[in-house]
Amino acid sequence: MKVKTMAVNAVIAALYLAVTALIAPFGFTNIQFRVSEMFNHLVVFNKKYLIGIVLGVFISNLLLSTLGWYDLTFGVAHSLISLAITVVLCKFVKGRVKGMVANTLVFTFTMFIIAIELKLALGFPFWFTYATLAISEFVVMIVGVPVMNALNKRLDFNRMIED
Amino acid sequence: MMEKMVFGRYIPGDSFVHRLDPRSKLIFVFIFIAAVFLANSTVSYALLLAFTLMSIFASKVRIGFLIGGLKPVMFLIAFTFLLHIFFTKEGDLLFELGFLKIYEEGLRQGIYISVRFLVLVLMTSLLTLTTSPISITDGLEVLLNPLKKVKFPVHELALMMSISLRFIPTLMDETDKILKAQLARGSDISSGTMKERIQAVVPLLVPLFVSAFKRAEDLAVAMEVRGYRGGEGRTRYRQLKWDWRDTTALLILLAVIVALWFLRG
Repeated sequence: MKVKTMAVNAVIAALYLAVTALIAPFGFTNIQFRVSEMFNHLVVFNKKYLIGIVLGVFISNLLLSTLGWYDLTFGVAHSLISLAITVVLCKFVKGRVKGMVANTLVFTFTMFIIAIELKLALGFPFWFTYATLAISEFVVMIVGVPVMNALNKRLDFNRMIED
Repeated sequence: MMEKMVFGRYIPGDSFVHRLDPRSKLIFVFIFIAAVFLANSTVSYALLLAFTLMSIFASKVRIGFLIGGLKPVMFLIAFTFLLHIFFTKEGDLLFELGFLKIYEEGLRQGIYISVRFLVLVLMTSLLTLTTSPISITDGLEVLLNPLKKVKFPVHELALMMSISLRFIPTLMDETDKILKAQLARGSDISSGTMKERIQAVVPLLVPLFVSAFKRAEDLAVAMEVRGYRGGEGRTRYRQLKWDWRDTTALLILLAVIVALWFLRG
């Protein structure tokens, strides 16, 4: 792995935690509204960001989550699986906005992993939990599309990790 | 800003639990999480609770501190408890007031799931309270070492995690500074309509990303000029040492699991 890739991913992971902790303090309940969820779209710009995002989720859940290690295992699994699906999908979907919309749909669908977590940990009803989680994830991520697009115009995410 | 969160919540100390090797603590917590699901009777849940309290005692972490940290979870536990009490309609009817009916099974399930959850949260917070994040990283790196055989980049991941942990306070300070700077300019992300709040997020994220990427760039250059060439042949400053405490802790856990198995209803 290139040194630059490692450094960028490590800093992105730290930024994920900082944003999770400071911008949206109401993130770890049934209504997930983490601004940092928008970071998931980074993978559309370059697949190398996958590591940084997953690491960010891992560290955030290790240090901040109230659900403890449930969040650690399921949260990381959820991000890893969804991002991997998006990376594959992006080979077929052309255009970044379309890629981010596909990413949103993937994350919305895979929310069942978190619904299983809450069912296991707290005995919440699966379908109701899945529905609420999927809706909130969809909202945060679809809102993230124009935000990340605007950020990319100024920053060029692909270039930031490539050269 | 940093006071708001008990960051990483690591409390340095010199107790039995503090002195355990991070590897044994990680293995302990992983096995414990699975073992909790063995409990299915009142006696087995009581054993789990007693064992957790004993572990807290052995860590010398103040109970008051732990309970303070549990406040956000308490709401979730209370919610779950009520959910089970009102929606499980099995067993004998214990209490009736109008449409409100509480059944024996509902009460039992409510208590069991709450205790299970409480025990899990307490045990996992005990790990983060008694182990510094950097020790957790070291422990994870060694435990994941076998994955190197399948070309999994264990060393690189551990290094990224250490770098990340080092940058968290820096980036949190920066996030806080930018938040305040934008606030002073009249931006507000905590009120207004959804659209206004989203629009307020962009001027916040742009400087944050710019500075984060700048730091990453500087770091990469610094690593390269210092001749960083991957994990091969590197020695360690922090050495992990497995001693009698670690073996004892795992043996006690094994005894608890055997007891749980026999106490199953």
